[in-house]
Amino acid sequence: MTTETTTKTTTETTTTAAPAATAGTAQASDTTQGDRPVLAMDHVSYAYTKGGKQVVKDLSHDFHAGRVIAIVGPSGAGKTTVLSLLSGLTSPTAGRVLYNGNDLAKADRYRFRSHDIGVIFQSFNLLPSLTVEENITLSMEASGKPFGKPKHELVVDLLAKVRLPAEYANERILHLSGGEQQRVAIARALGYDPDIVLADEPTGNLDMATQDDIMAIFRSLAHEEGKCVIIVTHSPAVADQSDEVFQLKPLRR
Amino acid sequence: MFVLKNAWRSVTRNKGRNVLIVIIVAIIAAAATIGLAIRGAAETARADGLSSTSVTATIGVDREAMMSAARQAAQSSDDSDSSDSSDQPDFKTMRDALDQNALTLADYEKYAKAAGVEVSTYYTQTTSVNGTDAFQPVESTTSNEASGTSGSSDSSASSDGQSAQGGQGGGPGGMGGQGGGMMGMDSGDFSLVGFSSDSAVAAAANGSFTMSDGEVFGYDESSEGDVIISKALADFNGLAVGDKITVADLSGDDTTYELTIVGIYKNSASSNTGMNGPMGGTSSDPDNAIYTSVATLEKLGLASGSDSTDDDSTASSDDSATTQTSASRTQLDFTYVLNGKDDYETFAKNVEKAGLEDGYTVSSADVEQYESSLVPLDNLAKFALTLLVIVLAVGAVVLIVINLFNVRERKYEVGVLTAIGIRKSKVAAQFVIELLIVTMIGIALGVAGGAAASVPVSNQLLAQQVSSQQSEATSRQAQFGRDADMPGAPGGGSADSSDASGSGAPAAPGGAQPSGGRGGFSQAVDYVSEIDATVDLKVVGQLALIGLALTLVSALAGIVAIIRYEPLQILADRS
Repeated sequence: MTTETTTKTTTETTTTAAPAATAGTAQASDTTQGDRPVLAMDHVSYAYTKGGKQVVKDLSHDFHAGRVIAIVGPSGAGKTTVLSLLSGLTSPTAGRVLYNGNDLAKADRYRFRSHDIGVIFQSFNLLPSLTVEENITLSMEASGKPFGKPKHELVVDLLAKVRLPAEYANERILHLSGGEQQRVAIARALGYDPDIVLADEPTGNLDMATQDDIMAIFRSLAHEEGKCVIIVTHSPAVADQSDEVFQLKPLRR
Repeated sequence: MFVLKNAWRSVTRNKGRNVLIVIIVAIIAAAATIGLAIRGAAETARADGLSSTSVTATIGVDREAMMSAARQAAQSSDDSDSSDSSDQPDFKTMRDALDQNALTLADYEKYAKAAGVEVSTYYTQTTSVNGTDAFQPVESTTSNEASGTSGSSDSSASSDGQSAQGGQGGGPGGMGGQGGGMMGMDSGDFSLVGFSSDSAVAAAANGSFTMSDGEVFGYDESSEGDVIISKALADFNGLAVGDKITVADLSGDDTTYELTIVGIYKNSASSNTGMNGPMGGTSSDPDNAIYTSVATLEKLGLASGSDSTDDDSTASSDDSATTQTSASRTQLDFTYVLNGKDDYETFAKNVEKAGLEDGYTVSSADVEQYESSLVPLDNLAKFALTLLVIVLAVGAVVLIVINLFNVRERKYEVGVLTAIGIRKSKVAAQFVIELLIVTMIGIALGVAGGAAASVPVSNQLLAQQVSSQQSEATSRQAQFGRDADMPGAPGGGSADSSDASGSGAPAAPGGAQPSGGRGGFSQAVDYVSEIDATVDLKVVGQLALIGLALTLVSALAGIVAIIRYEPLQILADRS
């Protein structure tokens, strides 16, 4: 019934004294930054069918820029649902998801997805028939944002950011390993410079070294570029490397 | 722009599938091109064939209807003075009935005024005259006794002995154009033909001719008495331009007419073809035709309506030539010239309105012949339509199926695109444009192929149609020994059967041939055997529209699938 917000202190950041979990209503838990959250859940509930089983119930949380937030919880706690709610793939049946204070349900969610949030799916969801560069430029073009530089240069920069050599630009997706595909997916999500980066199990199938590498990328995105990085994971190691952990509890019925 | 670019990239990426679609669409388009081209050509041929050229029309008598009416009248009041025909049909009554019903020149002109469309007219009056000692007709036998088939007793050189049957065929107002009328006027040595204008001369029943000496007569008063005669006739009689000839009236009562030869003509067709069966007189020989103006005939009192030749005015006193009066009757052939088939139809309608009696019909040999010449073309057009419908239906189904599989296969792509924030409408537009690019390439190739193939293919198909049509006609003729007078028989059905009854020769449907003056010959219809099925812009435009429609219809499946796709599903599509 209750959701708990636990904030762990990480080794790198000394931030966020965590207010305790309050029973009943979840509590927004940011005291370090006075500005309003980039993304917020406000008493969100969700059921797949109208009047059906609620997979998410009365969930509230604020997500702030410049931080890496891990959403953790056991299987069945509604992690994927929260991901789809936050990414604007669907709208809550009750409550609101707010982006910069605006209700996403009333906003243009296609624009939100193409402009403001970069989603890294668990299965990457890259288009296998396209090359790495084409996959990245696809999302750049979809955003409709103007770009100062030729796209190829941007792609090379992005590849460098996710630590892939520039030669990979013309590779087919299927010629890449899982870790490499993950990096391409991150590069695609970053291509149009979104405020929020949302990753679903980004380290699921990766070995430890790659996992650390990927997490380092996420942290630098949050801390150096001031993005709000939200990671849905069940990996304690990932949670440990996050600034903040948002714990979902399984719904008791 | 983004959509276009993406669509183009996607097209170039999926070569295999798109090549398949291109091939299918190209085949469909090629077949559709040929079908459309054939239909277009058939329509053009049908519409243009007679709309641009002038059409001649005639008003004819429905002789059967008239005769049956006369028969009834004769039976009801059986006071006929037929002396010798107790068991024979009452020819005189019949002829009277027909003659009474003949339209006069004034009638014809009245209908010309009532036409309602631009119409020009010309007419010929044909009568027969006898030769004199100094002027004899061209003939092989010394006299034409042999041709007499009735029991008329006279054996003089004057060929009054034309049988009653010969006269029977020659009622006024020959059904089926000039041809039918000419044949009946076979008594006498010469046919004296009066023309109203040059157009009438050009449409002379004996066919066109060229002047070998002198020139054609004029039509005003100063030219009265001027005639032109055939070269054969001139040679036979040793005449030259400027000579005068004298012909005798058929009545045999010493009336003679003096005419001046102003020209000598030569028929373009062989003169040997002018026979009219065994009972054709010399006057039916084209070489024995004397051409003059209507004005001349009027001056001589031979024109129709003038007393000297009108029926029953001359007492058939003592002469054995009982049929003389009808034989010397003048035949009026009145022809309307109209600007195209549409005008003809309007004319026919207006003439009916103007009070044409039921016994008369407006007919146009040109139109009838043209219609029957189009039979293979019509069949071909029907075939083309069937082809078109089948091809388009099959094509639509194939395209829809391909597209369904295509979209199903690309569901993942739809999910990715919508998940990264591309609107469904854009995704759908992209898919439609992709299909459009591919189908348009296919259509372009198909049209090119179809255009190259349509002319030979359509002519090949048309040739088959023509030959099947001809073999049908041939088998029909083999069955009947003549052209079957059946509805739909090529060229048949229009002619009255009267001219077929007397002679054993195969009947010529006179109506089928505008210049069929030499009746008695089986005349095959000249089928339209070549069409210009070239692909023009109209066809290309139609195909582009068809292609667009097909594409949109088949893309509908994809659009529906895209619209129904929930972006959330991408989370389930974990490959």
